[in-house]
Amino acid sequence: MSEVMTQGPKVILKFNESILKEIEITQPEFTIGRRPDNDLVIDHAAVSGRHARIVQVQSVFFLEDVGSTNGTFVNDRRIDRRQLQDTDVVTIGKHRLIFRDEVTNGSPSGQPKFRDLNGTMVMTGQKLRESRAEQKVGIVQIISGRTDRKEYKLTKRLTIIGSQAQATIKLTGYFVPKIAAMIGRRGEGYFISTSEEVKTIHVNNKAVKGQADLKDGDLLELKGVKMYFYLKGPNQP
Amino acid sequence: MKLAYGAKSDVGLKRTQNEDRFCADPRLGLYVVCDGMGGRNAGEVASELAVEVIHKHVLEAVQDGNLPMVGQYDGTFSPHTNRLASAIHLANQVIHREAQDQPAHAGMGTTVVSALIAGQVLSLAHVGDSRLYLIREGMIEPLTADHSVVGEQVRRELLTEEEADRSPYRHVLTRGVGVGATVEVELGEVPVMNGDLLVLCSDGLTIGVKPRDMLHAVRCEWNPQAIADRLVSMANAAGGEDNTTVVVVSLGEETRQGVWRRIWNQILRWR
Repeated sequence: MSEVMTQGPKVILKFNESILKEIEITQPEFTIGRRPDNDLVIDHAAVSGRHARIVQVQSVFFLEDVGSTNGTFVNDRRIDRRQLQDTDVVTIGKHRLIFRDEVTNGSPSGQPKFRDLNGTMVMTGQKLRESRAEQKVGIVQIISGRTDRKEYKLTKRLTIIGSQAQATIKLTGYFVPKIAAMIGRRGEGYFISTSEEVKTIHVNNKAVKGQADLKDGDLLELKGVKMYFYLKGPNQP
Repeated sequence: MKLAYGAKSDVGLKRTQNEDRFCADPRLGLYVVCDGMGGRNAGEVASELAVEVIHKHVLEAVQDGNLPMVGQYDGTFSPHTNRLASAIHLANQVIHREAQDQPAHAGMGTTVVSALIAGQVLSLAHVGDSRLYLIREGMIEPLTADHSVVGEQVRRELLTEEEADRSPYRHVLTRGVGVGATVEVELGEVPVMNGDLLVLCSDGLTIGVKPRDMLHAVRCEWNPQAIADRLVSMANAAGGEDNTTVVVVSLGEETRQGVWRRIWNQILRWR
């Protein structure tokens, strides 16, 4: 997921299916209306001259209707004043605004927020970011066999094991295939995949064909090379 | 790896214009589906530009190894994957400039889902709600997650997939190519194998056709073109709400095992 949460809060203005503009909310009071002196001008008859405003109170944002004729709606519910959450859909006339608040790194608005949804706690941006920072990284240690190094950190999305130039784990023995196997990173975990040249590899002495998830401490063997796979925390030496 | 593909793009039953565009180039291993948006004919301008720019940029990169990368280079991905991202960043610039220069095209944008197959590695890049599915050994798996309001809510587990399908906001995108001065492109890299099948599609397909039914269509047909045709008919049978574009890519030569599997599936169908 490349949804990197580095941008400030913003609104995305949509009409029918097309995105009209994206505006960052930088001021503590962000006004919306038909008159040209608003921060977000929506030139449409159904929109009042002064329609609504978004007010920042410390780390949270509130949407207020400021006496519009046709009303302001959040997720289809008419509101007078309501706290905005990331991805809330605001309807003004026939226009839709999407509120985005991808919590920024270390800013005061980075307080973890919880939304009550049938009693379930939901992680927001900051929490997700923290858990990603704590994510463990896979290490491959060579026990025996000919490779260009003794240890490899699996930071790439896809690590190629083989003799080809793009391979990270380079096999240096004789008659080794260009791609012997690939280790992929998916969310929290890693998996190993066999190649066209090497149809079977061994994980903990068990034959694997195709794809298999890797667990902390797995022993891998392919083309005469024995490797030890383990997970390391980001702060472990 | 040997690549074969089939593709079909259809206006659907409710729209008058087809704003989807696709590109398939087996020599490059490049497959792209774009779903344009914006009033009048601006949507198809955006999707057309995207397909052209992406194809040209990838082609030029093959001819010139020193072709500069557009946008940030991400070292955790291969040069191939970065090239695909670069092509989308470039398309974003071109469409955005065009939208600013031509008042009739203001606000136009497009989704992009793209696959670049180099040997046994599939690079993928996407923006918006056009999707890529991998079908392997009778199972279907989405390789992309939508950049739409409901898609983000599903990622955060605020909505289930079923609720998302019913949401009135399911068409509202959070990212689009050409909409802003820059775009965030989501990248992926996966190993591919002989016998794999890729399906790239616009939301016209996924509105009405569930992955389970896509899998069934794959079992029923013998070649990528027939699969693409069948999927488009299914989308229209389900209402044809939107333009539907499907690109089906089959990887590798059919092994004997594959042939037997197909015969077996055929037998299962007859029962």
